[in-house]
Amino acid sequence: MAQIGAGSLLLGLVLAAYGLVASIVGARWRLAELVESAIRAVWGVTAFIVIAVAALVTAFLRHDFRLAYVAGRSSRDMPTQYVLAALWGGQEGSLLYWTMIVGLLGSLALVLHRRRDRALIPYVAATLLSVMGYLLVILNFVTSPFTLLPTTPPDGAGLNPLLRDPGMMFHPPFLLAGYASFTVPFAFGAAALITGRLGAEWLRAIRRWTLIAWGILGTGLLLGAWWAYHVLGWGGYWGWDPVENLALLPWLTSTAFLHSVIVQERRGMLKVWNLALLLASFLLSVFGTFVVRSGLLSSVHAFAVSPIAPWFLGYVAAVTIIGIGLLIYRLPSLQSERVIESVTSREAGFLLNNLLLTAMAFATFWGTVFPLFSEIFSSTKLTVGPPFYNQVNGPLLLALVALMGIGPLLAWRRTAWRPLWRQVRWPLLGAGLVLVPLLALLSKPVAAIAYAVVAFTAIVTLLEYVHALLARRRNAHESVLTAFVHLLRRNNRRYGGYIVHLAMLCIAVGVIASNLFQQERQFVLKPGEQGQIGPYTIVYNGLQDKRVADAEVIAAQVSILRNGRQQDSVTTYRFFYRNYEDQPTARMGITTLGMTDIYVVLDRWENDGTASLRVYLNPLVSWIWLGGVVYILGTLTLFWPQVAAVRLPARRAAPEPVPSQAASS
Amino acid sequence: MTGTAIAQPVERSRRRWLDVRWLIAALIIAGAVGYLMYTSLQSTAASYFVTVSELQQRAAEVQGKRVRVGGQVVAGSIHTGGPGEPIRFAITDGQQTLPVVYSGVLPDIFTDGRQVIVEGVFRQGQPLEADTLLTQCPSKFQAQATPGQGQ
Repeated sequence: MAQIGAGSLLLGLVLAAYGLVASIVGARWRLAELVESAIRAVWGVTAFIVIAVAALVTAFLRHDFRLAYVAGRSSRDMPTQYVLAALWGGQEGSLLYWTMIVGLLGSLALVLHRRRDRALIPYVAATLLSVMGYLLVILNFVTSPFTLLPTTPPDGAGLNPLLRDPGMMFHPPFLLAGYASFTVPFAFGAAALITGRLGAEWLRAIRRWTLIAWGILGTGLLLGAWWAYHVLGWGGYWGWDPVENLALLPWLTSTAFLHSVIVQERRGMLKVWNLALLLASFLLSVFGTFVVRSGLLSSVHAFAVSPIAPWFLGYVAAVTIIGIGLLIYRLPSLQSERVIESVTSREAGFLLNNLLLTAMAFATFWGTVFPLFSEIFSSTKLTVGPPFYNQVNGPLLLALVALMGIGPLLAWRRTAWRPLWRQVRWPLLGAGLVLVPLLALLSKPVAAIAYAVVAFTAIVTLLEYVHALLARRRNAHESVLTAFVHLLRRNNRRYGGYIVHLAMLCIAVGVIASNLFQQERQFVLKPGEQGQIGPYTIVYNGLQDKRVADAEVIAAQVSILRNGRQQDSVTTYRFFYRNYEDQPTARMGITTLGMTDIYVVLDRWENDGTASLRVYLNPLVSWIWLGGVVYILGTLTLFWPQVAAVRLPARRAAPEPVPSQAASS
Repeated sequence: MTGTAIAQPVERSRRRWLDVRWLIAALIIAGAVGYLMYTSLQSTAASYFVTVSELQQRAAEVQGKRVRVGGQVVAGSIHTGGPGEPIRFAITDGQQTLPVVYSGVLPDIFTDGRQVIVEGVFRQGQPLEADTLLTQCPSKFQAQATPGQGQ
């Protein structure tokens, strides 16, 4: 297996090198056959990488411990699903998987766009091949997943306990795939810059592929939050850890891009800005992948500096220089066709949205790399913690939520104040109705204000649906449900986008509550004793000793009472995995009563059954997961095949001057 | 509201005036964000990130301040204590050692020789009372996880 894998990686590299030359030469001298063979080279390289992945998976399934990677991450008694998940349990496998995703999505993009975007394709292929080729160099010569051990051990070390969780099967592959998939829109952007075809046609492709990357990365982030909440045992879902921050950055910049690209489509503005966001999203994805696996920043996820660090840093630097160089070179053809006329216009709203999102990205980036900078400039390494991020990003996020409500009400070019007022007065009233009682009820005024803002935006968004649905009902006599489906089919960019907006509001509700109103207590209890947290009584019922396939388990059983009546009971565990006996891994007992999560962590215990338990009350965290599901569904509706899509170009061509080459050529 | 307005390019003088206005708006937002970041840095007291040796050298400077210290758990130094008691251990950077007291939940992957980061207020001559104890993420187990080394 090792030979097959290593061999196909090497062949992949050779083919990638050929394809790169072929695509550039073919594009330069317009040799169609050469371009065609470069496209085939992308498919071929992808096939070789898939073979390599299959070889590694087979090695895992066969417990082929001759391979250092397999021996280091799996063992015979591990359940099969974790043996498979061990594929991305380390640096080499993650990079291999990353490369495979680039290959698969890139190949798919070439299949779909080969005919339509003929002029861009050679350079799209060249960019894809250069990214894959670079990674293949690393996989072949720097950190190969197929390195053999000098002696074959009888059994592997097994995957680290923390990773033996269902989350391991979903979070890393989604996050890594999210990172990797930014390569495709970047390839289109690079191709557009290189060819100088900066009209409208590349936008469609780029927007769609950015949307895919953005959706996958967002899902990966949500799964990561869910995993952290259920496995890491500190009662939270987001710790502002450097690796989390860096994963958030490309999501923020691509969110900004998805909004500002609308301005470019409709008004022919912000072209340079959009390309810069695209470039930034890709670079931040590469940077994020690199930091996860390197150790540039001290984080939960990484410590030791790995041999791939200089390779990644060099790559990021090179792409930054080339990207900015290309942008400057093409500056003359990236002039805005129009200007923003009024502050109360849709385009101004989008611009503000972009400023807020990039400000959040910048603040988060700054806080994350602050230790590096402070060391350079003041010889003292200073780090910032979660309070910094919360204080900076909190207000920005709130402003963003408010803008999410106002933005859709603004018209392009300029909005008259009177109709704007007519549209915001009911939502404002609703926000007021939320604000006043909450100010009285909640101990923190800032929470009441935040909820009022969320309520305002929620009402605006829901009213948008109501207006549209009523209009359809009136005109087409449709039922509400049919009208809703038609709405999504006719204009999914708008009404699907609103679903994502509602998802964000849902998440905001959970984030505000769990940030501001979390309660935490530590109990030391003998079996049968009880403790009090908030309105709940915790009764500790003692420990149990169990055995599962690959571990010994200590389980603490806890009943939860309210007003003397039993509400629920939870069991919280410590797992002692074979090979990792000195790491009692916690598995939290979490239950949701009403809208509050009761989160019980087993800390330590004595032979007589005395145990220390840490209990958290996390209000409204379930809203975050609900919002996450809505986010995924909303993102999926954005890919809903459009009824009008076929007619659209024809209709558009006539009256609406789409910003196209008209200006650039 | 969804106006697909077809705008004519605006004349030059107007364009320039508006550009300045937008520049000012952007500057105001940038200033606000900068101010937010600056005050947050001041109020949330960034902590000094040092190695154990650096901490001893600069003891006077960081006395009473928040420090973040990275190091390796000294073998045999962990005293877990009973339920509810703080965990006592020492970390080292190979030259000096620093005793630490941590009163949170026992972390999952915490054992002799592991790389950890502790954070707390530094008081000279006392063990560091850590409120944060970060352990290494398991996906980084490169060297340690090879079999035969007794993981």
